[in-house]
Amino acid sequence: METFLQVVTNGLMLGGLFAIVSVGLTLIFGIVKVINFAHGEYLMIGMYLTFLLATGLDVHPYLTVAAVAPLLFVLGALTQRFLIQPLMHARDEHVQIFATVGLSTALMNLALLVFGADIASTPASGLRTSLHIGPVRILAGQAVIFCVSIALVVGLHYYLQRTQTGRAIRAVAQNRDAAQLMGINVNWIYVLTFGIGAACVGLAASLVAPLYPTQPTSGTYFVLIAFVVVVLGGLGSIGGAFVGAMIIGLIDSLSGFYIGSDLREVAVFGVFLLILILKPSGLFGRRSLAHVSP
Amino acid sequence: MTQDKTDSAQRRGVIALALVLLGILAIPIAMDDQFIYHIFVTICIFAALSTAWNIVGGYAGQLSLGHAIFYGIGAYAAVMLTNLGITPWIGMFVGAFFAVIAAIVVSYPCFRLHGPFFALATIAFLEVFRVLALHFRSFTGGATGMMIPLNVGWEWMVFRDRLPALIIAFGLLLLTLAVAWWIRNRRLGFQLIATRERESAARAAGVGTVRVRLVGVSISAALCAMMGSFHAMYLTFIEPEAVFSLTFSIQIALFALIGGIGTIFGPLLGAVMLVPITEFARGWLGSGALGLHGFVYGVVLVLVVLFMPNGIMGLVQRFFEPDRSASEAEPASVPAEARASEARSFGEDVLQVERLDKHFGGLHVTNNVSFSLKEGEVLALIGPNGAGKTTVFNMISGFLKADSGSVVVRGPDGQFHSPTTPGDYAAIGVGRTFQIVQPFASMTVEENIMVGAFHRHHNVVDAREAARETAHRLGLGRWLHAEARGLTIGGLKRLEVARVMAMEPRILLLDEVMAGINQTDVRRAVDLMLSIRDSGVSIIAIEHVMQAVMSLSDRVIVLNSGEIIAEGTPQEVVRDATVIQAYLGKEFANA
Repeated sequence: METFLQVVTNGLMLGGLFAIVSVGLTLIFGIVKVINFAHGEYLMIGMYLTFLLATGLDVHPYLTVAAVAPLLFVLGALTQRFLIQPLMHARDEHVQIFATVGLSTALMNLALLVFGADIASTPASGLRTSLHIGPVRILAGQAVIFCVSIALVVGLHYYLQRTQTGRAIRAVAQNRDAAQLMGINVNWIYVLTFGIGAACVGLAASLVAPLYPTQPTSGTYFVLIAFVVVVLGGLGSIGGAFVGAMIIGLIDSLSGFYIGSDLREVAVFGVFLLILILKPSGLFGRRSLAHVSP
Repeated sequence: MTQDKTDSAQRRGVIALALVLLGILAIPIAMDDQFIYHIFVTICIFAALSTAWNIVGGYAGQLSLGHAIFYGIGAYAAVMLTNLGITPWIGMFVGAFFAVIAAIVVSYPCFRLHGPFFALATIAFLEVFRVLALHFRSFTGGATGMMIPLNVGWEWMVFRDRLPALIIAFGLLLLTLAVAWWIRNRRLGFQLIATRERESAARAAGVGTVRVRLVGVSISAALCAMMGSFHAMYLTFIEPEAVFSLTFSIQIALFALIGGIGTIFGPLLGAVMLVPITEFARGWLGSGALGLHGFVYGVVLVLVVLFMPNGIMGLVQRFFEPDRSASEAEPASVPAEARASEARSFGEDVLQVERLDKHFGGLHVTNNVSFSLKEGEVLALIGPNGAGKTTVFNMISGFLKADSGSVVVRGPDGQFHSPTTPGDYAAIGVGRTFQIVQPFASMTVEENIMVGAFHRHHNVVDAREAARETAHRLGLGRWLHAEARGLTIGGLKRLEVARVMAMEPRILLLDEVMAGINQTDVRRAVDLMLSIRDSGVSIIAIEHVMQAVMSLSDRVIVLNSGEIIAEGTPQEVVRDATVIQAYLGKEFANA
């Protein structure tokens, strides 16, 4: 029983990690309607930045978020403005996918050129100490990630629901042309959304870097998981993404323990494919979707 | 004159292609250098893989990033069988067989997904294959990979020098190119592209969209598997991380994109341009610049997407192809026929609709709708917006399933049948147009109509002939070679009719073909309808243009809020009080 509780707890902690990485993606996916394959590379870049700043300035990795998140915001905004925006009206979606795939490949290999294939370890700064909560143990850093992911989801939800800009963002997501007619600068909203999405990944990177090794391919694993989470939660649903992340975290943890750690991905992607094929709107998505034929 | 231009352009194209292919074979033989041989073998392999990918990714427009699955199956099949003492020449076909099975299993459930979602699903399948290949160690050798026994000779596809490998790779490339060319110029190719451009219109034209995609993906998978078998023999070593690799899948798609997605020879050009650059970079810079060639790939991809979205073929075509706006003399348009004569006699019922009911959520869109259509009759379906007219059309053409009620259609055999899918309806001779025009935008007018004509003709030459005839009959002759996206709304409406007419339907369902076109065009359209009717086709038309309704129809049915509120001759219906009330409100009922 204790083992089971521990496995479930691990799953929830993993869910927190997936959630914090995926929230930015679901924002971009749901509002700009572009699949950003370079999302994982944003995380990787954020982790390297955290590593460089934390070791270079000798500060706690969490403090680097003050620099990493704004830098990632700029990176995201630039991507939207100079890569995606010129392709928004492209004849078919292939073009946008290839553009972000190209960006992803370029960034990953750039990191390989600059940093080499070796692992960069951000100092753990006490975040790897175990906390005992009842019968289960968790790492301090995991607990922080879990709590921050909840705060981020609630915060973004509040931002989108209550603020004027948030309403504008949702209006653009509903109908780009109508929003434009209402005087919303659609291109600016897209740039802003992309920036916010990337900044969320920057926040995630500063929290993740002390716990996980940083290398050029760090993003690849996370981006696939993030897509799974986003599709599971329903396109653009931030709350859905959080629940989706918890589910995937639990599946990952349980299947890793009870089936075999090398088959975790089969379980995760298997669930993903089932959802995609059987209920393409996601577990919590209600919108009619243009991406499936009736 | 246009024909001459097209011919000479084609001849130039063929010569250029022959030169490229000759170069691939001749340059390495002339230079006789191991490294050069290696580069050209790699070109052949990637060009062939990319050409095969293009059948799915380009023609069918399904962006697969999981093609490494098929390549990997081919590679593993060949290596495993070689280890059992069976020649890779057989292993190749075993691999192709299993790849086709995998292709059908993977693709069939994913066809509902579009664009990025299809891509994501294929990536997920690829990851599953990779993890499984790593897991079943006893079968695949797991992460340590598999070697092949080094038996040299043609029988084992392993050679001491590189020339035989080049010859095999070149042969496979030629085979793949021939298949891609053949598909593009056959019915299958037209149907794949039509499915990509507009799935619902393709289904209405009788294309089995799922079937053609499955055929396309199977052919593509088989070719990829054969290349995988050969590549494994060439490399003499395989491992799951290398063969079931996402990066590899992306590379295959990348060459097609750079060369020109959806074109026959674009992927070849893409590989010819890019493979040498990256192989040289890898050779010269070596491990000192780890990641450089990947970086170059990524940057080239981004730049091509931004500045050259049609790829190299886009540039080449501008150079080779004649001006597409070249016009042909328009033959005299449809002769004006005599107006509908009163009291015409009709044959037996060809379509019977019984008590159709349909709800969309709480909305009762059609309520107990029953009517029938007689042979040679023109039946107009009118009613205010939201009355349920198009919903009725969707139910009598297989696009929507009614909650209850039945639709039966008399087949050419004289028996009544109950078709269910759009394909069934097309097969039994029911053709329809769409209220919101659905052209295959990137195909020419002629090709658009040919998609309809393929319903009756299997042969391209016959279909082209039928399409031309239909185009001239509908006054589209001048635009035969123009892309459909360039037509005006009047032209597009006529194209809708032309496509369905080319199917030679016995029952024609026309959904507001006269809405939004000018008076002259309405008059021409009315004449056209009458001539269609006189050729023995029964017509149901949804129409708001009363001028057309009055002069065309033998009988009118008025729908309001999902119910039939009136039925009769045009003259009877316009005087009906309930009809006036439905359109104009209560106070006008006595006007």
